[in-house]
Amino acid sequence: MRYRDKPELQDRLAAEYVLGTLRGRARLRFEGWAREDAALRRCVEAWQARLVPLADAIDPVQPSRRVWKAIEARIGADARSPGRDSSLAGRGTGRAGFWESLSFWRTTGLVTSGMAAALLVAVAVREPRVVEVPVEVPVERLVEVQSKKMQPAYVAVLRDDAGKIVFLAYANRESNELWFRRIGMSNPGGGMGYELWALPTEPNEKPRSLGMIPGVEKGTIQLASAADQALGNFPALAITMEPAKGSGGIATGPMIAKGDCQKFW
Amino acid sequence: MEPQQNKELADLLQACGQGDSAAFARLYDATSPKLFGVAIRMLRREDLAEEVLQECYVSIWTNARTYSAALSAPMTWMTSIVRNRCLDTLRRPRIEVPLARDDESGEDMLAAVPSEELGPHALLERSSDAQALGKCLAKLDGKMRQAIMLAFFEGLSHSELAEHMRQPLGTVKTWIRRGLERLKSCLAENQ
Repeated sequence: MRYRDKPELQDRLAAEYVLGTLRGRARLRFEGWAREDAALRRCVEAWQARLVPLADAIDPVQPSRRVWKAIEARIGADARSPGRDSSLAGRGTGRAGFWESLSFWRTTGLVTSGMAAALLVAVAVREPRVVEVPVEVPVERLVEVQSKKMQPAYVAVLRDDAGKIVFLAYANRESNELWFRRIGMSNPGGGMGYELWALPTEPNEKPRSLGMIPGVEKGTIQLASAADQALGNFPALAITMEPAKGSGGIATGPMIAKGDCQKFW
Repeated sequence: MEPQQNKELADLLQACGQGDSAAFARLYDATSPKLFGVAIRMLRREDLAEEVLQECYVSIWTNARTYSAALSAPMTWMTSIVRNRCLDTLRRPRIEVPLARDDESGEDMLAAVPSEELGPHALLERSSDAQALGKCLAKLDGKMRQAIMLAFFEGLSHSELAEHMRQPLGTVKTWIRRGLERLKSCLAENQ
């Protein structure tokens, strides 16, 4: 359907999408278009603003406590019990975000590859949510690669939780330089930045910080060792939001993106 | 929701986006009865509504950083997540939910939608957006309004509406389409 050239049709579809009468495959197809098309999303938002206030007419119903308990278990036990004023106590609790997000990704099935699934199951049985990551001392500098042939490398494609690719990483296996490209990731501002992590396979291993991601579209991150050592035993990479100076080796913020790190040779 | 509440909820969402789980607990406290009410109304089954509520709050927590106060009001954003999930649930082939009863026309909800006839107290309780919408809905033809209300509150599809209202499918589709068009222009006039 050539909906793009037809603003009236776009608006009608958006209206019926929000009302709920757009159903089945048509609904799914529309969601697909909306993911790609900001103008269509604006139409949807405008219809939400028009129609959703109808919900004001619905009487509130107090849900059972077990719903909150289940949510708490899903996102991590650090969430404070509702009804308590925990504004101060809440300050330090954000550090559970990393694992909470992992748990979310596991349960919603957004991570589909076998390797990542195995990793996430391993992570799920892990006891502590916050782990110390030893700060590594760089042991060697960049190894110059002279050959023009394709070099064995690690590649990773990281997606956000909507499945959109937001970060590409590439590192020759003997190099300690990781090349990256950010795709549509804006800088968080407010003294925050993005930190890159290598996620381990085994439950008793710790995620390793690969450092803060520079706030440029394309650049490099200096690994603490050659990619073979830095990435070889870590089948996935993830990005969390952290203070701009770095988390200090303990992931504290929400997970922004994640993806397998594959050997390309 | 009025501006002050909107601001508070938007601040809580923003804090959630930065991993503040205490803010998330407060957000849940402030909004879950409303959202649960929406889910119960659409799904008519408490177990399904609980399941949806749980999924939605996990999703709200995870996606809070994508929330933009400039694009939508916090309650609108969260309610839309819940309504969407309810519609997904209703679409699942083996889910059986009690159908809207014959005596339920959606008009019962209109009584609760604010209009000029309501007393000042009720008007104060409802947001100005809901008031404007209530006025515009009241101007629609009865059948058109009923079709829209049933679709919104009960999650009925076109064919379910046709069956429930004992009308041809095409007629119901036209009511919905025209009704939405008229609502849009009525709301635009009143702004």
